[in-house]
Amino acid sequence: MIEITNEAWQTMVEHAEATYPNECCGAMLGSAVDGKKSVTSAIKLRNAFSGSQDARYELKPEDLLEADRAAREQKLDVIGIFHSHPDCDAYFSETDLKNSCPWYSFVVLSIKGGKFDHANSFLPDWEQTKADKEELIWPKS
Amino acid sequence: MAKILIPTALRQFTEQTDSVEVNGSTVGDALQSLTEKFPGIRKNLFNDQGKLRSFVNVYLNDEDIRYLDKDATKLSGGDTISIVPSIAGGSAPVSEAEEITLSSEELARYDRHLILPEVGMEGQLKLKAARIALVGAGGLGAPLGLYLAAAGIGQIGLIDFDTVDVSNLQRQIIHGTRDIGRKKLDSAAEKMQAINPHLKIEKYDVALTSENALDILRDYDMVIDGTDNFPTRYLVNDACVLLKKPNIYGSIFRFEGQATVFAYEDGPCYRCLYPEPPPPGLVPSCAEGGVLGILPGLIGIIQATEAVKMILGKGTTLKGRLLLYDAMNMRFRELKLHRDPACPVCGDHPTVTKLIDYQEFCGLRQPPPVPADGIDAIGLKEKLDRGDDFVLLDVREPYEYQIARIPGSRLIPLGDLPKRLNELNINADTVVHCKSGARSQKAVDLLKQSGFRQVRNMTGGILSWSDKVDPSVPKY
Repeated sequence: MIEITNEAWQTMVEHAEATYPNECCGAMLGSAVDGKKSVTSAIKLRNAFSGSQDARYELKPEDLLEADRAAREQKLDVIGIFHSHPDCDAYFSETDLKNSCPWYSFVVLSIKGGKFDHANSFLPDWEQTKADKEELIWPKS
Repeated sequence: MAKILIPTALRQFTEQTDSVEVNGSTVGDALQSLTEKFPGIRKNLFNDQGKLRSFVNVYLNDEDIRYLDKDATKLSGGDTISIVPSIAGGSAPVSEAEEITLSSEELARYDRHLILPEVGMEGQLKLKAARIALVGAGGLGAPLGLYLAAAGIGQIGLIDFDTVDVSNLQRQIIHGTRDIGRKKLDSAAEKMQAINPHLKIEKYDVALTSENALDILRDYDMVIDGTDNFPTRYLVNDACVLLKKPNIYGSIFRFEGQATVFAYEDGPCYRCLYPEPPPPGLVPSCAEGGVLGILPGLIGIIQATEAVKMILGKGTTLKGRLLLYDAMNMRFRELKLHRDPACPVCGDHPTVTKLIDYQEFCGLRQPPPVPADGIDAIGLKEKLDRGDDFVLLDVREPYEYQIARIPGSRLIPLGDLPKRLNELNINADTVVHCKSGARSQKAVDLLKQSGFRQVRNMTGGILSWSDKVDPSVPKY
């Protein structure tokens, strides 16, 4: 189970809506206790995909390294990665799966017509062959 | 000794410690020593064959070891090793880029790229996966089209509605003498395809407008602006900002050129630099003011270079820098540009959220095309045929007068007019003309302010005279 606090969620939705019609990406920081993950802040990261970004994203390892440093400074952990799917649902695509990493939760935000629609969280396996859905709780306003 | 920084996700295997001191003379040794100390971490980094997992990147200080000596990269005292996953994705099915391959012919063709570490196979595949929209197949479009085709860009969308005119050939080197009268699209596509048969070209035989721009440009990764008029420049800019596509900008005039990259990452857009267009007629077009034929070659190639670098993700782009080129003195200068938070399009609170009427924005809808105090070529011909008593004043430059003139006209260049007003009769019926009607309108305004009562502008200038009355008068 992964729960996202209001402040982190606002950053994520704001980033996803502002990046529309392209995909956004970022890191989620927080802590995990007994399998219960809590995301307390989010960091917007740059989509480094060099082609059209309306259906692809890529995180630069050095940006992720930077996010990891920020987490260390705040005594938090990098819990997961988020990205958006403009004008389609929040599924975990084959592209998402093939380029994922089992260390993190992957939250996908569906943005339709520039506005947040829904979200899901996924836990990819070691070999990038499948991802399980994870219970996701975000502040409903 | 080296220090390995443990990513937060893996600290459960390292007793929550965030960095581990290890021994070893290479990066491979250091990682080995880490897994001996903390066996639980092994599965996270290595697969069953003992190879680093595909999503694991290892950095020595700030360098990816793949670009150093990999596992064998030597360590020296005080080095820091970081473990960083590579993460990507997207709603698209596994991208075409991953299925794109190079044939043996292409491997040979791109050999000089492939041996550059900054391009290599990875970069060449990125170029092949790239889709570029090229607005205009004219002066800038010519070198852009030729070099982008040669470089191995996979797909180019070419947008142009014009036909090749003899006066284009002094600079638009993608077209030849035998292409005069052909669609620029067809002529340009033929040359590009001849250079590189692997290139896919999509031809758009239209003028880019507020109605079609988003639909056309949406399918491309980036847009290169090779146009020479303000309405299209603002249109391309706004469309790129709305679609979040980079706009690679170039412009040319007489002996000077400019280039930069707009709407790229957090950089500025064209409106941050020029929020409002200049008043109509103030900045002459190349047709009006002339241009050194070689100039677009250089500026177009700068644009092509930026496009290729952006696709490769290498180097430093012109984002935030306006490059100014002065051919006459062979000088390059740079101006710093900043995104304007108050920009109406890309600012923090944009007021332009959809495409507008750019003709109107640039003041080209008013005054109406034929002003009340104007006379067109046909009207002038009738006036001459009637034998009216009037003065036909030509305000072009002497060299233009030598190329083409309307019989019976009298030459006073616009710049000389203020000090030569006394040569004219304030009460005479006067018609003023220039090449296309812009300078003569200024002359008419000046004459009216000076008390001339019967002054009219000849709309369309001598170009229109050649089109509508006397084709033997050369167009230039």
